[in-house]
Amino acid sequence: MCLAALLVLTAGIPASARELGGREIMVLVDERPDGEDRRSVLTMTLINKRGSQRVRQVESFSKDYGRDRKSVMVFREPADVRGTAYLSWEYDELDREDDKWLYMPALKKVRRISGSSRNEYFMGTDFTYDDMGRRNVDKDVHELLGEEQAMGHDCWKVEAVPVDPRDLYTRRVLWVSKSAHMVVQAEYYDKDGLVKIYRALDLRPHEGFWTLFHSEMDNVSREHKTVMTMESVRYDTGLDDDLFQVSTIQRGRIR
Amino acid sequence: MSLSGGLPGMRRAAAVVTCIAFLLAANWGAAGEEQPWTERLELSGFLETLQSMRLREPHDAVTSRARLRLDLGADLGPVYGFVSADAEKNWKLSSETGVEAREAWLEHDGDGWDVRAGRQIVIWGKADGVQITDIVSPPDYTESVTRDLDEIRMPVDAVKFRLLGKWVDTELIWIPVFKAAVLPTGDNPWAVARVVPENVRVSSAAPREPATTLENSEIALKLSAYLPGWDAAASIFHTWDDHPAMHRDVLDDEDGMHVALEPRHHRLTVFGLECSRPWSDFVFRGEAAYFRGRYFEPASLFENPARKNALKWLAGADWTPGNDWMVTAQLVGEHMFAHEGRLLQQANSYLATLHVSKKLLRQTLTLSNMLYYDLDHGDFFDRIKAEYAVTDALTLSVGADVFGGDRAGSYGGYRDNTQVWVKVKYSF
Repeated sequence: MCLAALLVLTAGIPASARELGGREIMVLVDERPDGEDRRSVLTMTLINKRGSQRVRQVESFSKDYGRDRKSVMVFREPADVRGTAYLSWEYDELDREDDKWLYMPALKKVRRISGSSRNEYFMGTDFTYDDMGRRNVDKDVHELLGEEQAMGHDCWKVEAVPVDPRDLYTRRVLWVSKSAHMVVQAEYYDKDGLVKIYRALDLRPHEGFWTLFHSEMDNVSREHKTVMTMESVRYDTGLDDDLFQVSTIQRGRIR
Repeated sequence: MSLSGGLPGMRRAAAVVTCIAFLLAANWGAAGEEQPWTERLELSGFLETLQSMRLREPHDAVTSRARLRLDLGADLGPVYGFVSADAEKNWKLSSETGVEAREAWLEHDGDGWDVRAGRQIVIWGKADGVQITDIVSPPDYTESVTRDLDEIRMPVDAVKFRLLGKWVDTELIWIPVFKAAVLPTGDNPWAVARVVPENVRVSSAAPREPATTLENSEIALKLSAYLPGWDAAASIFHTWDDHPAMHRDVLDDEDGMHVALEPRHHRLTVFGLECSRPWSDFVFRGEAAYFRGRYFEPASLFENPARKNALKWLAGADWTPGNDWMVTAQLVGEHMFAHEGRLLQQANSYLATLHVSKKLLRQTLTLSNMLYYDLDHGDFFDRIKAEYAVTDALTLSVGADVFGGDRAGSYGGYRDNTQVWVKVKYSF
């Protein structure tokens, strides 16, 4: 914990003391300290242009295995999908497909799902699976555009252009906090122009790590917004490896 | 082997529920003082109603029911308990009206193992909407295939023990109480009337079911591996056929021919294999079951069923091209070894399924179509459905169940039951 706190306090010093390229900055983001495991409750509120709201809530667990990561998300709301569990083994290796399984309580069975659905929207929100997880740095070509203030942070402004032309977006402009090494603002563009804007609204150290408590994704092209809040955030609680096995989500409950 | 009626179903259910309620109460004190009891209980469920209208004359309701389901989970520290019950009012099938305990079980998970005991639904297999190795929980065909598959399976009274490894899980299931499949009978619109020649009388005795004895238990063993890029499983299930073989005596007297049917369940051993493999936007799935000693019905009313071995298999693919589209295609085949021409079923039979779905309006509207097509008879069942989440809790569905093709086929026989329906479901 002390080492983690030290990393938080000193994270910005070496990086800002020298000139960095776009890729190096994104490697800093990718490698920022966030514990060996983590758990939280995510609440996503979907707000349409008339102001009506729908709520999705998931309980999230993840654990690092070297540069790979295993995670489980258990859906709490809405009621008709409560208990649905999504297990993924995400590999850092660029060409290796992730392993994913879905447990559906109505069917009481686990189903293997395709590993290449990262561009799908998560539960009807404005976040894609890619937005919610870690994106391999080498999936994009990064260019440092300059330095700016954003969301109260001194930031590097980086442009990310996907290597794969079939990607959902043609480019993203990212504002990376120099102190937190996290993206605090992002703009997503497709061939028709600006699609959506991401903002980190409440970002602060918690248990020794920079933690995002409140963010939003404003889909300007569809006049729709998703507000995400994170609660019960805990790091390094020693999550059991068994939690990330198919046999565990097969029980239909995580406890 | 002894064959006689087991304990009546209601008494068995009551015994299981009482036993589990007692164990829940006994464990309550051991659950730990630090967590309030309200956080250890989780109540959920749904209230739904489904009404349909036949598209042919007389345009009456084929399905008309309302159902309340309550699921209660209780975290009792070392033990987790779960009870699920249905209360149904069925305006079409009076036998379905009533209250029923669906599941009632206790589970303990240890270090590298777990055990679940009580009334539970066990689901196997990689197939979608089709059962190949998935025969542990017997089916309830009261409303034929128009119920969702998860509503067709019935729970069994069982103990399920699992040994959980890093790559391979071993599952052992003991089912001491036999439960038969339920088929539609009487004036149920899904009952299939047997065509009987003139001057032939047919009578049927009550089905002879295996008694609840240790030697009549059903035992299943399954090994499942979940590996990077591969899932595979192998199983063996020493069971009783959920469907009785219709043995018969044919008497020819001065009143004409008399066929006396004697439905009898037989022992059956099923060897299963399953696998699935993701690749790009696809997941390929395969499943096979080898049935050793299954009885097949004869084409003639006057002959007896024959005991044969058979192989049922499935090959399928899921395609998720993105943009909330999903396509699943499957081919199912069945081969009977040492086939005899006198049997009703052909040596080889094939079925194809195609499921297409698309989510719209931020995944609040799902349009889907599930087609079952019998390649031998050319008959089909097609379920077209639109499901809209009016709010996070309230879902409105409209759909049509279309039966067509040769009336001799298992789907074409229901051509007169083609229906449109509406369902309202409130989940909590």
